Amino acid sequence: MRFYGLLTVKSLILAMIFMILQVAIASAQTEMVTDTENCLFCHRYPNMGRYDKNGNKRIYYVNEKLFASSVHGKLRCKSCHIGVDQIPHSNVKKVDCSSSCHIKEPSTGKEFSHSNMVDKFRASVHGGGTSDTAKRFPEDLPSCKYCHDNPMYRAPTGVWGQSEALINETLARCMGCHTSSHWAERFYSHFTHRMRKRRSQEEIVALCTSCHEDQEKMARHGLESIGTYKDTFHWIQVQYGVKDAPDCISCHVPVGYSAHDIRPRTDRISPINMDNRVKTCSNQGGVQSCHPGATTQFATGRVHAYGMKAQLLASENQEDLAVNEDISLVIERAEEDLSSKELFHYKVLRLVKLFYKILIAFVIGSMLIHQGLDYVASRKQLKSR
Amino acid sequence: MIKKRNIFRKKFDVKSDGHRYFMRLNFNERVQHMIFLICFIVLAVTGFMLKLPEDVVQKFGNARDIIFFYRGILHRIAGTVMILVSLYHVFYLLFSPNGRRWLGDMLPRFKDLTDMIGTMLYYLRLREKHPEYDRFYYKQKLEYGALIAGATLMSLTGLLLWTEEMWPKFLLDIATIVHAMEAILACLAIMVWHMYEVHLRPRKFPIDNLWLTGLIEEEEMREEFALHYKKIMEDPELRKVYLVAKHEEGDTSLRA
Repeated sequence: MRFYGLLTVKSLILAMIFMILQVAIASAQTEMVTDTENCLFCHRYPNMGRYDKNGNKRIYYVNEKLFASSVHGKLRCKSCHIGVDQIPHSNVKKVDCSSSCHIKEPSTGKEFSHSNMVDKFRASVHGGGTSDTAKRFPEDLPSCKYCHDNPMYRAPTGVWGQSEALINETLARCMGCHTSSHWAERFYSHFTHRMRKRRSQEEIVALCTSCHEDQEKMARHGLESIGTYKDTFHWIQVQYGVKDAPDCISCHVPVGYSAHDIRPRTDRISPINMDNRVKTCSNQGGVQSCHPGATTQFATGRVHAYGMKAQLLASENQEDLAVNEDISLVIERAEEDLSSKELFHYKVLRLVKLFYKILIAFVIGSMLIHQGLDYVASRKQLKSR
Repeated sequence: MIKKRNIFRKKFDVKSDGHRYFMRLNFNERVQHMIFLICFIVLAVTGFMLKLPEDVVQKFGNARDIIFFYRGILHRIAGTVMILVSLYHVFYLLFSPNGRRWLGDMLPRFKDLTDMIGTMLYYLRLREKHPEYDRFYYKQKLEYGALIAGATLMSLTGLLLWTEEMWPKFLLDIATIVHAMEAILACLAIMVWHMYEVHLRPRKFPIDNLWLTGLIEEEEMREEFALHYKKIMEDPELRKVYLVAKHEEGDTSLRA
């Protein structure tokens, strides 16, 4: 009996240790992600997913660690995934970034929402337009998620230069009062995330060109493909990874503007509107000055190379170029967008280029013939001696 | 100095003994050529780096922004030096006796046209010999003319692009095209025209030492520039300028 009793005490202790361990693990997990809805019960398994009707692979796995260190890591799943109330999930709505989540926005105390940004975006060139000015082919337009992909908070380096000591010093000051290091680092990341560029210049160009280089897609909206940027010195600098080299947003969303609020160049507040060009080129909100001495004449010139629109307007028979594509809208827009002066400039540049092509072919061609003849003659002369 | 030159000649000219030499390029002109040549290569390399395909640029790795920085600096330095040498050359042509003679010999004449036709006939084997050339013949005059036109255009457009903020964008666009196309033309012309002349031509292979020594052998001189040869032999003044005595005699006119 005594022996049996000892065993039960032992097993009781063991059981308690296990329980404590389990609680410890569970509490560690809950600190990582606020999964009060227990979604990770299923979604923690890497193989979770299915093929949809179109044969596309849909992955429903959530990597807990990655999600926890993302900007949305503190949100509950149902804050964004509205309608997930039963299993299997039916009636789930698509994530709408303008909806309110249950986090309080600290400055007003109201429920947090991205609706301000979404409203701005809807009115911009990338938005669908209002009901009376609705755009054709709305499926071509980017959604929030096209550019925003729930980015990770990066390790807190690179804001105050590359000095790690300086970062630790700053963080240490926060943690003097805010003793939870997890909270302090997250708050610190929240600020510093907005103080640096998330994407390199090349990544920005890649993002914008993922749509804007698609000639067919652009033609549907009366735009020309953005290959014209890649003919500029700006792009060469980006290619070489030059610091502060001008990518798309350097001019289209300079300091003081929002990427959500890109307007057509005819809009008075657009940074590439002729009235704002000098400021955009010379001194962007006092922060970056690429061409400090830019004159109006310099700044109001054409930055991108001439593209399809100039080609279309300059060509005699536009139908030849419009073989397979519906580019009537491009032709229509070309007449609005290109002034007669610009068209004249395009024609002059084309002529200069043509002149040089002919000159090079003629000069080098005749040189080759001449030297070839000379070679034969010299060889003959050399042999005869 | 004489010793040094003899080393030079022995190294590059095995047949120096017992031959008479003529001065084609004097020391000053050789230095001008050397500086221009170095500038040209630096400019071509740093300039065409802007036209590299994307994947080649990527191969520079993380150092590519530093490479780009020095590329720009080097291009500007070499451009400035080239402009200065060109300006000095104009000064040389106008104010030095040798330079004035150069200018006089380089001016196009009617004889160049007949020479050209004659040479073509010779190439097509309709003639036994090519015409007797003077100091510079039509091919060299054309090349020299192209050099002057090219250097002027490249300098002008280069300076425009360097001071871009002061000019209308349209002018800069033209300058960009001209600068790039002229560069292609110049490099191709140098490769086809000039490199052939001094490297590939049957008697010159692998390289003509004239750019270093400035000298041409009497035999070659008589064959290639017969008219000039005759002129020199008839005129004691010109003999003083061009004729270099056998090197055993310790001649000092090498620096002309």
